[in-house]
Amino acid sequence: MAMASSSGQMKRLKPLYQLAVNNILAVVTVPLAVAVVMKVAEVGPEEVLARARSLQPLHMFLAAFVPAAATAVYLMLRPRAVYMVDYACFRTSPNCRVPFATFLEHSRVWPGFDERSVRFMTRLLERSGLGEETCLPYAQHYIPPSRDLESSRAEVELVVFSAIDDLLAKTSISPDDIDIVVVNCSLFAPTPSFTDMIINRYKLRKDVRNVHLSGMGCSAGLIAVGLARNLLQVAPMGAHALVVSTETITPNYYMGQERAMLLPNCLFRMGGAAVLLSTNGANARFRLARVVRTLTGAKDGAYHCVYQEEDDRGNVGINLSKDLMSIAGDALKANITAMGPLVLPASEQLLFALSFIARKVLSGRIKPYIPDFRTAFEHFCIHAGGRAVIDELQRSLTLSDEQVEASRMTLHRFGNTSSSSLWYELAYVEAKGRMRRGDRVWMIGFGSGFKCNSAAWECIRPASNAGGPWAACIHRYPVHIPDVLKH
Amino acid sequence: MVFDGEEAAHGHRLSTVVPSSVTGETNYELSDADLAFKLHYLRGVYYYAAGDVVRGLTTKALKDPMFPWLDAYHPVAGRVRRADDDLQAAPPRPYIKCNDCGVRIVEAKCDRALDDWLRDDAPDRLTHLCYDKVLGPELFFSPLLYVQITKFKCGGMALGFSWAHLIGDVASATSCFNIWAQILSGKKPDVSSLEPANTPRDHAPAGAPPPRSVKPVGPIEDHWLVPAGCAMACYSFHVTEPALRRLQQQLSHAGSFELISALLWQTVAKIRAPKEVNTVTVVKTDMSARSGKSLANEQTIGYVETGSSPSKTDVAELAALLSKSQAIETDAVAAFPGDVIIYGANLTFVDMEQVAAYGLELKGQRPAHVEYGMGGVGEEGAVLVQPDADGRGRFVTAVLPKDEIPSLRAALATTLLLRDA
Repeated sequence: MAMASSSGQMKRLKPLYQLAVNNILAVVTVPLAVAVVMKVAEVGPEEVLARARSLQPLHMFLAAFVPAAATAVYLMLRPRAVYMVDYACFRTSPNCRVPFATFLEHSRVWPGFDERSVRFMTRLLERSGLGEETCLPYAQHYIPPSRDLESSRAEVELVVFSAIDDLLAKTSISPDDIDIVVVNCSLFAPTPSFTDMIINRYKLRKDVRNVHLSGMGCSAGLIAVGLARNLLQVAPMGAHALVVSTETITPNYYMGQERAMLLPNCLFRMGGAAVLLSTNGANARFRLARVVRTLTGAKDGAYHCVYQEEDDRGNVGINLSKDLMSIAGDALKANITAMGPLVLPASEQLLFALSFIARKVLSGRIKPYIPDFRTAFEHFCIHAGGRAVIDELQRSLTLSDEQVEASRMTLHRFGNTSSSSLWYELAYVEAKGRMRRGDRVWMIGFGSGFKCNSAAWECIRPASNAGGPWAACIHRYPVHIPDVLKH
Repeated sequence: MVFDGEEAAHGHRLSTVVPSSVTGETNYELSDADLAFKLHYLRGVYYYAAGDVVRGLTTKALKDPMFPWLDAYHPVAGRVRRADDDLQAAPPRPYIKCNDCGVRIVEAKCDRALDDWLRDDAPDRLTHLCYDKVLGPELFFSPLLYVQITKFKCGGMALGFSWAHLIGDVASATSCFNIWAQILSGKKPDVSSLEPANTPRDHAPAGAPPPRSVKPVGPIEDHWLVPAGCAMACYSFHVTEPALRRLQQQLSHAGSFELISALLWQTVAKIRAPKEVNTVTVVKTDMSARSGKSLANEQTIGYVETGSSPSKTDVAELAALLSKSQAIETDAVAAFPGDVIIYGANLTFVDMEQVAAYGLELKGQRPAHVEYGMGGVGEEGAVLVQPDADGRGRFVTAVLPKDEIPSLRAALATTLLLRDA
């Protein structure tokens, strides 16, 4: 009884505590300022002026110059603010649609998959959280799927060019204004690169800085954003950076029978996003607050967690280790530890520090305090890597169902689109009309390496129209996703 | 010339098209009339001459309109399932689960020119251009429709449709394909709604004799193929308008269907002598008597019996029997509780004269030629009488035991059917 009432009292006190600690500067300076004013009033204005005139000119000069110089140096050394002008996701078309029944039938009809593999893929799909509208590229509607170079390029052109076309239309900038192009696509790296493809198609300028990131995994979208941000620091002020995140499915269909390597076939789907970043904040919709990258590849277990290799028969595929979830959990903890101090309000940080000290002093008899990230962010975009990933993150960050809704619904409608899934989730939040000016968004990506990267954005202006990849279906969402799909 | 190896279609590549929007949890109930036809497969081929239009019709251009087309015809993209909860019927009643699984598309090439192929009257020309599959042994994974796109060396193209008869008769199938062609040409056609079939009526009592038009078979488990007594082959020939007119003057003023059927009845009876062919089944499509449902099996089924041996009876008399003395058994066939074959139970004559097969215009181009055959025909054989390209002559496809084809060809060469004026 005493405990219940004391915890009830704690709950009531908590907002007061947060108000006090988060505004500590005001809490300290306001009384101080009041004290100064009262002192001045007490002493009298003529007395104050007399004391001021008695100061030496040098002291007065220094008193003015030093703070001004310090401010100027601080402003110059501060990194430039980077803004997101807008973003556009690849809008899937119905002629790429793969219903559950069709995927199963193709696996069954092609003799390369044995009975066990088909049963395994069936069970996976039933529990995957994917819906009936996810899309695969044209070449993968064949039995067996084509994996040739020409079909792969066709998929890239379809996804990347249509996303960029949408972006250019939304932002009304011309291709001549693009100074930097960064593309990430992990599993397909033809020569010439995707960036050269873009330069050729859109006739970009001769001095564009282009970089293609390949082999960096599903979290590479935020790595690309981080790289673009760094390039914008040294580019002329007001430069524009085009960041394209995608994954090419066509060449990567696994044609063997290793169960650990069949999972990507079932989950990965077609998707892509194009984002325009700039140091010019006019007309921008979001401000990039932070990018935090964490790597755990020094540990062997994490390094081998998502590993591309050949199976016994020479089929190339991606082997997912059984420890994936625990390694992901560790990577997330490392990322939160780095991100927390940068984004959490002072009240949460103090609580976390106190709990940390208390645990050390009392040898772990106190539960670790999980900082409430809802005080730092309004919206959460968690990489839709699979149902298990989202469940795990919801549990470890103590998020509500509504906060992970964007991730679950993106997994349902689009499947795992790798690095671009974060952008589809952001598009969901905006399509639902939940984004307001000043809202903060946390994007968390996971990928091979094992990497956990996150980015914090702040909304300046929510989307004004209802276009985008969710336009045709948002009215049907959210849907209830059963634990096991009946078919 | 025989269609063999590289001469025929080769290089098959399979893919699937699905409805463009999610159908959801829907089942399409099959009526008794539908289930009576479950062992038969319509095989129709549409030939298009080489030219700019056909050259512009890439596989993707042909596939893209199929996605919205299947939204309207979502049962065609479904798969056959058996009702789990029907504990009385054994085995449980089949229905179609509209799970959007899709239609199979087959792409093939042929190293001959289209005109060359059409001039060649070797048997089984049809089967090379239609993907030869049936429902089962895994009903879960058996498409109800296969569309084969065969490109000829000269640039011509053939579209071969392999359609499971249980989803609809030839009139339903042709109007279904015509809707696809209209979407391809940019129109937005109206499709009449897919009404669920009527609930099963009372079946005939278990011991009742089967209708004369059909032959009971079975029990058929999950592989819906007629148990083959002998190998069947398709043989097609053209009855030109002058030939038809001459026949009508010389033999009888009966309708073209009755006349051609009577002539073939006599010819086949002669080939099969001493075995008698006294009973024939007649299956007719009457467009005016249809209910207007998009997918239905609404052909009339009946039989005709002759007292004397048809090889010795006058053609005019046989034609008169066919037009006037048909015993209609459509309802009895639907009510019969077991599995039956209809085409080939007796020598079967199929009247397709009212079917608008030449309506499948691709971007304004009419097919140069259309021929329909049948898969899963019983040993007695079937004859399909169809309109020809200009509508005034007739095109006939005979599905008969392979051994009878040479005799048929020889007999037709000497009869009035093929001798020109």
